[in-house]
Amino acid sequence: MATILVVEDEFGITEVLQSALADAGHHVVTAINGKQGLELLKESGTELVILDFMMPVLDGLGMLRAMRDNPEHRGIPAILMSSLPESAVTESASGMYAGFLRKPFQLREAVAMVNRVLNGGGSPIGEPMRSPRSGGSSAR
Amino acid sequence: MEMDRTDRFPQRVPSGVSGLDAVLRGGFLKAGIFIIEGSPGAGKTILANQICFYHAASGGRALYVTLLAESHSRMLLHIGQLRFFDESLIPSRIFFISAFRVLEEDGLRGLLDLLRREVQSHQASILVLDGLVSVQETAGSAREYKKFIHELQAQAALAGCTMFLLTGTPTPPVNVEHTMVDGVLQLQSELYGRRAERHLEVYKMRGTGYLRGQHSFRISDEGLVVYPRTEALLRLPSTHETPNGPPIETGLAKLDRMAGGGFPRNSTALLTGPPGIGKTTLGLHFLSRCDEECPGLHFGFYETPQAISAKANALGLPLSGLIEQEHVEILWQPTTEGILDEACHRLVDAVRRRRVRRLFIDGLEGFERLTTDRERLGHIFAAFSNELSALGVTTVYTSEADLIGSVSGLPVSQLPLQGVSCIAEIILVMRYVELRAQLHRVLAVLKVRDSIIDPAFHRFMMTGTGITIDEEASAAEQILAEAAQQNNFSSLGVKRTGRAGQN
Repeated sequence: MATILVVEDEFGITEVLQSALADAGHHVVTAINGKQGLELLKESGTELVILDFMMPVLDGLGMLRAMRDNPEHRGIPAILMSSLPESAVTESASGMYAGFLRKPFQLREAVAMVNRVLNGGGSPIGEPMRSPRSGGSSAR
Repeated sequence: MEMDRTDRFPQRVPSGVSGLDAVLRGGFLKAGIFIIEGSPGAGKTILANQICFYHAASGGRALYVTLLAESHSRMLLHIGQLRFFDESLIPSRIFFISAFRVLEEDGLRGLLDLLRREVQSHQASILVLDGLVSVQETAGSAREYKKFIHELQAQAALAGCTMFLLTGTPTPPVNVEHTMVDGVLQLQSELYGRRAERHLEVYKMRGTGYLRGQHSFRISDEGLVVYPRTEALLRLPSTHETPNGPPIETGLAKLDRMAGGGFPRNSTALLTGPPGIGKTTLGLHFLSRCDEECPGLHFGFYETPQAISAKANALGLPLSGLIEQEHVEILWQPTTEGILDEACHRLVDAVRRRRVRRLFIDGLEGFERLTTDRERLGHIFAAFSNELSALGVTTVYTSEADLIGSVSGLPVSQLPLQGVSCIAEIILVMRYVELRAQLHRVLAVLKVRDSIIDPAFHRFMMTGTGITIDEEASAAEQILAEAAQQNNFSSLGVKRTGRAGQN
C-alpha cells in the first residue's frame, strides 16, 4: 500500500482514479491544481504523484519543476497525464516524470503503471531517463 | 491634435469561421462578452474551438475553461479530426483547464478570481467558458448571477480579452444574461420532413450591424461553415463598375436576330420548355461563345460535368476544348442533402473567382428542391440578378415546363417561379407541337428588354451540330395551324361522342 497524490483539475477523472487506486489498496489524496498539490506534498508522505499537464493556477510542468527544485520531493516519482501526445510534453518536461498516461486511458492501464513505477519501474524526478516513446502511454 | 479615426471604432476579433465574419460584418467586437447557445450537438464546442484555433494561429492566445462539460480528452479527440486543429498550438497558445471543482468549492467568487488570474498568466486574448449553466445553477439568485456576468464583463474590458460563454438553449422569456452581454448567437437544428438543417442566428450584437435572420451552416471536416442568407448578403450589388457594350451573341445566329441582335449585356434570360426539348443544348451553344476575355460557367443540378461534356461532343460543340483551356467551368450541384444558401454561395464564388461573363444555370427547379422556404426564392433571384448584372454577367436560366410546354398567350403565368419571370429581361419559350403522330419543336422570343424582337414561333431541330432554327416562321405557322385544326376536330369528335352517349 502506498500514499498517492492525484493532482487533476477535471471533475470525474480524480474521482475514478481515487476509487480505482483505493480498490488496489492504496491511500489516495487529491488536489485540483499544482499549487495545492505542492502544499499536500509537505504533509502527506506521498510516495507517488499522478498529475495532469494542463491545470489552472500551477500546471503540471510547474509542479514538476518545483518538485525537482526541492530536495525533499525530488525523489518522488511522478506519472504525467495529458490529452496531448507524449511528444507534446517531452520537450518541456523531459527527465521529470516516470510514466506517461495519454487521456483517455484505461483504468487497468493506469493501475498497472502505478504498480510498475512503485516497484521501481520508473525513474524518480531529476534522474536521467531513456528517450520517450511516441504516443500512447509509457513507463520508464 | 487630429484623432486617429480607427481609435474611435472598436477593434474586431475575426472568428475565422467561413461565412460567420460576413454575418458579423468583420468579427466579434474585441474585449466583448458573447453567449453562444444551442442544444447538445448543435456545434457550440466546435465553434468555440474553431475560434480559439484561428485566433492562436493568427498570433493570439486562448484559454478554454470547462465547467461541467465534455472532458478535455474527449473534446480534443473529437476536434482533433477537424482541419483547423493544430496540436502544436497546445499548450503554448491554447490552454485547456477545468474550473468545475473551483466553482464547487469556492463558488462564483472563486471562479471569477480563477478566470482573472488565468487570463492574466496565460496572456489570453480569448476566453471560452464552456458550461455557463453550471454558473447559473451555483448562483443563489438572479442578482448574484447578474453580478457574475457584470464582473466578467469588467474583466474582459480591462484585460482586452474577448469572452465566449457556452450554454444550452434558454427557455423564454429571454434570460437575464442576454440583456447584459454584448452579443448572443444561437445554433439550432431543424427538421424539414426527415431532413435536418442547421441554422445560426445572431440575436444581439452591440455596437455593430450584422446580418439578421437565420443563416444555414454545416459541420464538415473544416469545422463550421456558415452560409449567410444570400438575399441579405447580396442586398446591394458589390460593385457599380458594370461593363457596358453591344448585345452578346447567343451562339445561334438566328436566335440573335429574333432577339433583336442578341442578348443585352449583363441581362437575365429565362428559357422555359418541357423536358428533352433542348434547353441544355441551347445553353451549351451560349457557352460555346466563351473565350479568355469572356469566361463562362455552367451551373447545373442534374447532369455531371462528364455528361455535359459528352453531350457537347455529340453535338459537335467545342465545349471540351473550352473547358481544357479553362474558358468554361462546369459545376455540378446535386440537390440531395444540399443547402440552398450553400449552392448560392458556390455559384457566386465561382462567378467572382473566374470573373465569369456568361452564366448558364440549369435549372431553376434545383433551387426549389433545395429550399425549405419557397417565399425566399423571389428575393434570392432578385439579389442574384442585381449582383450578376453588376459583375457584368449575362445569365441564362432554364425552367422546366409541362410536357407540351408553355402555351402561347399564357406563358408567363405558367412559369413555375414567378420571382424569376419578374426579373427576367429576356424570356424564351420552347415547346413541342404534336401533329400527326409526330412531335415538332418550336421556339419564340417573348420579351427582350429595350429591343425590337421577332415574336413569331420558329421551328427548330436538333441536328448533329446542335440546334438549327428555321430562318422563316412559315413552317412553324403551318405546324401550329394544322395542330390547332387537328385539335378542333378531336374536340368536336369528343363532343359528338358525348352527345351520342347521352342519347
